[in-house]
Amino acid sequence: MSHWANLKRTVAVRSWLEEFGGLCLGVFEGAGGIALLFKDTCALLVTRKIRWKAVLDQMNKIGVMSLPLVFLTTLFTGMVLALQSAYQLRLFAAEKFTSDLISVSLCRELGPVLTAMVVAGRVGASIAAELGTMKVTEQIDALKALATNPIQYLVIPRFIAALFMLLVLTIYADCIGMFGGYLISVFKLGMSSPMYIKRGIDALVVKDVVTGLIKAFFFGGFISIVGCYFGFTARGGAEGVGRATTLAVVVSLILVIASDALFSALFYFF
Amino acid sequence: MIQIQGIHKWFGTQHVLKGVDLTIQEGETLVIIGRSGCGKSVLLKHIMAILEPDEGDIKIDGRSMFSMLPAEQDEFRLQLGMLFQGAALFDSLTVRENVGFSLYEHTKLSEDSISQKVLGKLGLVGLQDIEELMPASLSGGMKKRVGLARAICNEPKIILYDEPTTGLDPINADVINDLILRMQEQLKVISIVVTHDMTSAYKVADRIAMLYDGRIIGIGTPEEIRNTQDPVIQQFITGSARGPITDKQQKETELL
Repeated sequence: MSHWANLKRTVAVRSWLEEFGGLCLGVFEGAGGIALLFKDTCALLVTRKIRWKAVLDQMNKIGVMSLPLVFLTTLFTGMVLALQSAYQLRLFAAEKFTSDLISVSLCRELGPVLTAMVVAGRVGASIAAELGTMKVTEQIDALKALATNPIQYLVIPRFIAALFMLLVLTIYADCIGMFGGYLISVFKLGMSSPMYIKRGIDALVVKDVVTGLIKAFFFGGFISIVGCYFGFTARGGAEGVGRATTLAVVVSLILVIASDALFSALFYFF
Repeated sequence: MIQIQGIHKWFGTQHVLKGVDLTIQEGETLVIIGRSGCGKSVLLKHIMAILEPDEGDIKIDGRSMFSMLPAEQDEFRLQLGMLFQGAALFDSLTVRENVGFSLYEHTKLSEDSISQKVLGKLGLVGLQDIEELMPASLSGGMKKRVGLARAICNEPKIILYDEPTTGLDPINADVINDLILRMQEQLKVISIVVTHDMTSAYKVADRIAMLYDGRIIGIGTPEEIRNTQDPVIQQFITGSARGPITDKQQKETELL
């Protein structure tokens, strides 16, 4: 009997609709919550005192401590990019364009996106876990009880630090990626060192670098606000904090990739 | 004086507070008793204006915090101190930074004078030489005492205690009870204690109120509560497994 009841429930259209409706509600609730937190953060950013000491501390956590990971990721990406593009370009005897390809693709696309992904995984997760633990142990309520706005105290330092550190990390990633390409092009593909550097720099225009940095700036904002939002909405002990952390990483990765597509389209046409 | 008028609170479809009315006089210690999850902590958070009611209002000295601007609300909140259930110490800060948190945040006092004040408050709760420790290295009882020192650091007029003795051994629990009484004597504050520990309730209360099914179903001095004829309160204070509270719960479970 219960087997039949279960089967009936599984095939019932109503339960499917209910599930779909619940999912939609969840998505819109999350989107609305993130937008509201962003609005509140911006409002407090201009009206309240900024805690620069906390900002510096977060810059260290978000930026400086991400340096090794960004270094490894982009170094290897630059190397792979050189190898793979040389493999294809060789067909047209155009290996000398490897350097152009690496510098343009890194500055416009790979630098900001790879950095944002690394930071979303490392920093987004740690923000959500830290704030989530504070939420479930009532530390956020304690902040309010001590007449301190949690957004001013916790979100704003992370937000400012992420905005600027993503910029800095992206510039760093661009350089390291090009260095990775240099290692392969010069020592493996037989390109001369001055030629690699000259071609790489000549291929770039200001717009390539600037559009990459604009993206990075927005990615920093997304990662910090999404991490803080899921931290603030965590509930139900350790499991809740785990769920919040996962959601923070997943949602910020989706936002980074989706907004990257949007920005690329915008910059392509304008 | 605190006036709680017809507070209703829903969480989703769950109606947690169904019209709570209470008045707490100056200098009084009111203990709110009730089963776990009946909304006692929610009620405390309403008094602190951490949560907003869906209906009703709370007036402290004739003023409602819910109609204030955020900055005004924060300033007003400094008159209240709250001891949280798990102490809720900030685990990235030392004991000194925790206890002096509101002084560091809201005053321009020098580092030295804040340290002096922190030492004084820690002394008041019977702790010394722990200012530079992190909360993670404290025992449960010490955490509660540091939490209490933090709550009284700003010399509030109202202190709220959320299950101050839960999770402590009987001796430590009694130390906290003594502290609540001592705060009352020395600081002449309004205290609201939420608990389900009857020993603690009888010891510290001027009046006891019982919260059941989202409403206050009885209020009186410890003596009056002890001699009540109300079967629900009787079951709770004697802690028996059979009675109207458990019967109702059983019916609800059967319905589900």
